[in-house]
Amino acid sequence: MDGPPEPELVRIRDVIYQTAGIFHPDNKLRLLQDRCGRRMKELKVQTLREYSECLTIRPTRQAELIALLNEITIGETSFFRNQPQLDALRRIVIPKILEAKSNLPLRRLRIWSAGCSTGEEPYTLRMLMLEELNVQLKDWSTEILATDLNERSLAHAEEAVYGSYSTRNLTPSYRNKYFIPQGDKLQVNALARSNISFSRLNLSDDSRMTFMKSMDAIFCCNVLIYFDLASKRRVIQHFFNNLLPHGYLFLGHSESLFGVNDDFRLVHLPGATAYVKGERTPAGGKSL
Amino acid sequence: MTAATATKQALLQRLDGLHQIPTIPAVLAPLLRYLQQPVEQLDVQKVTDLLSQDKSLAAQCLQMANSPLFGRAQNVQSLRGAVVSLGFHHVSDIAMSCGVLNMLPSDKASLDPVVFWEHSLGCALVSRQIARKINFGDPGKAYLAGLLHDLGIIVNLWVLPKEFRAAWEMGKGEGIPLHEAEQKSMGFTHCDSGRLLGERWALAPELIEVISYHHAPEKSAEHTGLVALVQLADLLCRMSGLNYGYVEERQVNLAEESGFGLLAQHSTALKDFDWARLTFELDSYMDEVHSLVRAIYRT
Ligand SMILES: C[S@@+](CC[C@H](N)C(=O)[O-])C[C@H]1O[C@@H](n2cnc3c(N)ncnc32)[C@H](O)[C@@H]1O
Ligand SMILES: [Fe+2]
Ligand SMILES: [Fe+2]
Repeated sequence: MDGPPEPELVRIRDVIYQTAGIFHPDNKLRLLQDRCGRRMKELKVQTLREYSECLTIRPTRQAELIALLNEITIGETSFFRNQPQLDALRRIVIPKILEAKSNLPLRRLRIWSAGCSTGEEPYTLRMLMLEELNVQLKDWSTEILATDLNERSLAHAEEAVYGSYSTRNLTPSYRNKYFIPQGDKLQVNALARSNISFSRLNLSDDSRMTFMKSMDAIFCCNVLIYFDLASKRRVIQHFFNNLLPHGYLFLGHSESLFGVNDDFRLVHLPGATAYVKGERTPAGGKSL
Repeated sequence: MTAATATKQALLQRLDGLHQIPTIPAVLAPLLRYLQQPVEQLDVQKVTDLLSQDKSLAAQCLQMANSPLFGRAQNVQSLRGAVVSLGFHHVSDIAMSCGVLNMLPSDKASLDPVVFWEHSLGCALVSRQIARKINFGDPGKAYLAGLLHDLGIIVNLWVLPKEFRAAWEMGKGEGIPLHEAEQKSMGFTHCDSGRLLGERWALAPELIEVISYHHAPEKSAEHTGLVALVQLADLLCRMSGLNYGYVEERQVNLAEESGFGLLAQHSTALKDFDWARLTFELDSYMDEVHSLVRAIYRT
């Protein structure tokens, strides 16, 4: 970084964090500035200061905020998007879940990718489970539920053919084990496509959300940015109810539930954060 | 005598008889003493003069003064300029940071000391940030406490490089906290050895408590709030990329740490503190800390 961050940019950063819960640390401010730049060109606005007013004071601020959020999120996804999060799942979270379930007769894991877009995330999770099949997950079955609002994305996910951009993080080993070349693209093979079900689900659809029961882990990464605070709260409350007592909620990198929900507890994993269900003390307060 | 107490005895003896033991850098001793006075009695020029006596320290301080980690990065050219534009509190933070860096053994054959320095600087920055956000006393004091909390690691690197390396390898292999590995393999931790050096240097009592109890703040008697704050900052750094050069395979819930309850007694703002945001901010410190340390090492 060269020089201190511009105060106007910091203000926009704070607006984005308060409204969408997505935080741009100082080293990501460049990125934010680029995204604002695109909007400024569109609006023919010259300075960041003026643009920051478009987001905060002008009557159209709500619409502008959504336009900026679209620039920030652009439905992007890829295989192995957040490696520390995946490492933590495999090395720390899965063992904890298995331990919590060790006395139950049904040896089954249920993982939900909520807002799975074109499928890279649930396939990644499936590959991780396959890697553990003969190790931790011996005698266990796993089931991955993948849902999204966007039908075209879901069709793409079922087809499972991907270009070089979204497969850029694949190691040669995963590439060889779980993909079949298709021209200059890659298709996920039958093994890695097994035990995943894709379906259309609007996370704001309260009646359908209540049916997503008994989850061990929920991944809802880079999705909540599209929701306003009230609907975000409802979605998170559903997740809370859908998770088993030992369950985990994972959000995207730099997304937080601060100010959204008090029931989930933040936990730190190496290079990643997650949320777990806190236990309530008998008095109804929260235990420390 | 058990093996553990034997090692501890051996450490004490070695520490006592050792001549190449890290001495507090000549310039820093008077500076530290000077800074223990009330703020109103401090003189900016005096701090600048003290620092200028050591050329390389002064150059390193300028490097740091120009880092965004210390606020204004407006290309400060002279020490005096740094004092004026950053405020001399920051300058003394910076001086202490360079001082600690210069105490690390330069022999990298055993363990690369840079990771420990990066961890200390990270912990200093995070401690300062927590103190600011929850209105806990003087952020400069929190910075210093974070910076020096692992002083014992420096002692271990100097006095028992082989034994310490074995402990570090064990920590890395098992993915357990470094102090637990030290306890298992050497019978004492960097908290014990840090305390010895801290006392020998006659550091301020609150710093000695931080050094001795930052892994068990419930044991501290007087400066519990500060010790607790550093415990939490240290944990955040260890769970991020500012760790001890390896990943601890575990899950941490800060609210369940002993320091959390203790710090809450000193600050009502703690219950509304946004830990997630601080964790994300750490990401940006990390890059800065890495490049800063690299720059200073060249100086
Ligand atoms: C940026 S993608 C995230 C993909 C993937 N989770 C990841 O992190 O790489 C965001 C996805 O959220 C979906 N989405 C947005 N609003 C939704 C809603 N109300 N219900 C379900 N999905 C929604 C979008 O269709 C889009 O596919
Ligand atoms: Fe420590
Ligand atoms: Fe530490």
